[in-house]
Amino acid sequence: MAKYFEKTDKWVVTFRYPLEPLEPPRELRGKPEINPDLCIGCGACAEACPPNAITKEIDYREGYARIRIFYGRCIYCGRCWEVCPEGAIVLTNIFEMATPSKDDLIYEVNLELHTCSRCGRYTEFTERQIHRAYTLLTRIPRERRKELLDRMFLCRDCRRQVFSHDALRSRRTDKYGRASQTPF
Amino acid sequence: MVDFWRRNIEDLGREEVVGIIDRELHGLYTEKYGPTKDLIIYLAPRENIREIIRRLMTFSYTRLSVIVGNDERYFRRDFSLTYIVAFDKQNLYIGVRAYLPEHDPEIQSIADMVKAAWWNERENRDLYGIEFVGLKDKRKLVLPEYWPDDAHPWRKDHPYNKPVMDWREGLPDYKPVGRHEDLDVIGMGPYHMINDEPIHWRLYVKGEIIVDAEHRGFHNWRGIEKIAEGRLTYNQIPFIAERICGICGFTHATSYVQAIESLAGIDIPDRARYIRSLMLEIERIESHLLWVGIACHILGFDTGFMLSWKIREHIMHLAEILTGNRKTYGMDIVGGVRRDVLGDRLAKARDSVKKIRYEYRELYNMLVNNSILVKRTRGVGVLPRDTAISYGVVGPVARATGLDIDVRRDHPYAAYKELSFDVPVYSEGDVLAITLVRLDEVFESLDLIEQILDALPGGPLAADVKGIPENKEAVGVVEAPRGEDIHYVRSGLYNKIQRWRVRAPSYANIPPVKEMLIGYRLADAPIIYASVDPCLACTERYLVIDVDTGSKKIMTDDELRAKSRKLSSRIG
Repeated sequence: MAKYFEKTDKWVVTFRYPLEPLEPPRELRGKPEINPDLCIGCGACAEACPPNAITKEIDYREGYARIRIFYGRCIYCGRCWEVCPEGAIVLTNIFEMATPSKDDLIYEVNLELHTCSRCGRYTEFTERQIHRAYTLLTRIPRERRKELLDRMFLCRDCRRQVFSHDALRSRRTDKYGRASQTPF
Repeated sequence: MVDFWRRNIEDLGREEVVGIIDRELHGLYTEKYGPTKDLIIYLAPRENIREIIRRLMTFSYTRLSVIVGNDERYFRRDFSLTYIVAFDKQNLYIGVRAYLPEHDPEIQSIADMVKAAWWNERENRDLYGIEFVGLKDKRKLVLPEYWPDDAHPWRKDHPYNKPVMDWREGLPDYKPVGRHEDLDVIGMGPYHMINDEPIHWRLYVKGEIIVDAEHRGFHNWRGIEKIAEGRLTYNQIPFIAERICGICGFTHATSYVQAIESLAGIDIPDRARYIRSLMLEIERIESHLLWVGIACHILGFDTGFMLSWKIREHIMHLAEILTGNRKTYGMDIVGGVRRDVLGDRLAKARDSVKKIRYEYRELYNMLVNNSILVKRTRGVGVLPRDTAISYGVVGPVARATGLDIDVRRDHPYAAYKELSFDVPVYSEGDVLAITLVRLDEVFESLDLIEQILDALPGGPLAADVKGIPENKEAVGVVEAPRGEDIHYVRSGLYNKIQRWRVRAPSYANIPPVKEMLIGYRLADAPIIYASVDPCLACTERYLVIDVDTGSKKIMTDDELRAKSRKLSSRIG
């Protein structure tokens, strides 16, 4: 028994934690932090978040999309970090988040909404999402890209109108006056 | 309780047994289909259910696992009841399903024949309003006593946002049912620190001897399954499943994702299977060491308590390094796992297994050579084998009564088919046997962790999930530290599940505690109760009611624990 205690004495498992600072392991799934410079406001994190700690709201009047994380609801699963396409969410190993005010646990990213180039109303996606989509377009063949670029900056209603207009026009131009195949 | 003459089918293969069952049930069922490869469902008219279950229970190593009710009125204007019977030696689950018409949901009770149906029937009666003819115990199980009789929260048309009763009228008092005359009543509960659910026991005592016990639980029942049916998507549910239990949460998450993978036909990568096994074994060690510590604490052996919790801390640090959290690992996702075990973490895991093995061997020797611990547990809380079979007990409690069942070996999942391990079985059925099963299992788990670390294959962590088919059903089974944890899942429309039924192992293990308590001293009640690992009597207070005068005396937690410890010191 004495030998046992002699050997296991070094394997200390208790810490004087509140009196001394505790260094958590770097693997700890701690507070997820949103980098506002990288966030494009796509809302993938809000879709994946199991307890709805991250929510996405769109304010059409003021013209911004708001990604809001409330750490009081967070279960620290790290799903937001996994699904973020931009790497804007980082899992830190911060765990000391006690605070006297609930407002300290709320973090918001407000992103500007895109305005439709045809009607001038706010669309449901942000400027950064448009920018991101624009950079992705370079992978698409040139002919197809032209067609997409025409509609990319439109809001949902305008896109529908332009699309149906195009479809009708293509019907009219049928040489034999018959209903031609629809472009889709 | 009916004693069955049981036919030995231990050595027969699955196809043979299915053939025997087909012949046995000929004419009783109308249709048979197999949704997944380990679940076969027989559709039968409701008059035949009792006879079918009776015939299935005449085979050896069968037990009624769970009765799943379902509201299928949107599909076919019926309620359904599925009796899932486990065939432990054939890696097979047989579901027997009856449809009950909407206007007359009534079926014959089997609780007098198979005790495992007792809680299940009461639960379905509460939540679906299905009437069980011949069920003697008509108390509410899940819902509170004051809940109106015509409101059944798991019917799909139950309004989730309207109060079912006027709370301003005040709540009626809890009235104990089945009160004995001339007996003192000792209430234990309902608040327990380490249990998943607060439980209230009413112990009827004659002097020091317990002569009967009543149970009332589910104070914290919150309908977690309905939340999942209502608004969560397939990949969000593992996280809420993990929070069903604070000790064995990962088994619930794994059970759920296995059911989904089974119904969608997803093959998960080898590395994911091994990592799941690794985490399950880490959780088992953690849970068993916690239990050992608590049991020592009840018996007044605090050195054992401190030492076992010290060893447990190594495994908690290991889990933190591997998954990022001490508990609620959050590793499971449909199709695989989320976090890899890499380089230095493997080395750290090997190091801590070595430490734990050294310390745990010392603790083991200290415990089994401790005369007080052995005297307090030997011959106490004996659960006879027939009773155990009838109640369908699982896990260490079943293995302590000589039932050689272990889901890891009998219904292999994750990586257990490729790993070698022994299943410790004792036949005494007392608390000592249960303790020894748990103590031995820790050694097996340490071996398993070393095997997994040596044999961890490479490859991806998660399979590509193309989509979950609609309206399919499956069961997912995992051996939790306390026994078989079974999840029944039926997928629904719009990427949501239609029905999710969770049967935690304690659901099967708590009802027989009633039988285990009878005939033993009051001071033994905490350890008997703790032996099935639901929790133990770390309650805030105990209520002693004198039946004759109706006077109440508050007996604090410390007093009852002191009573238990005093007995230890007298023996020692």
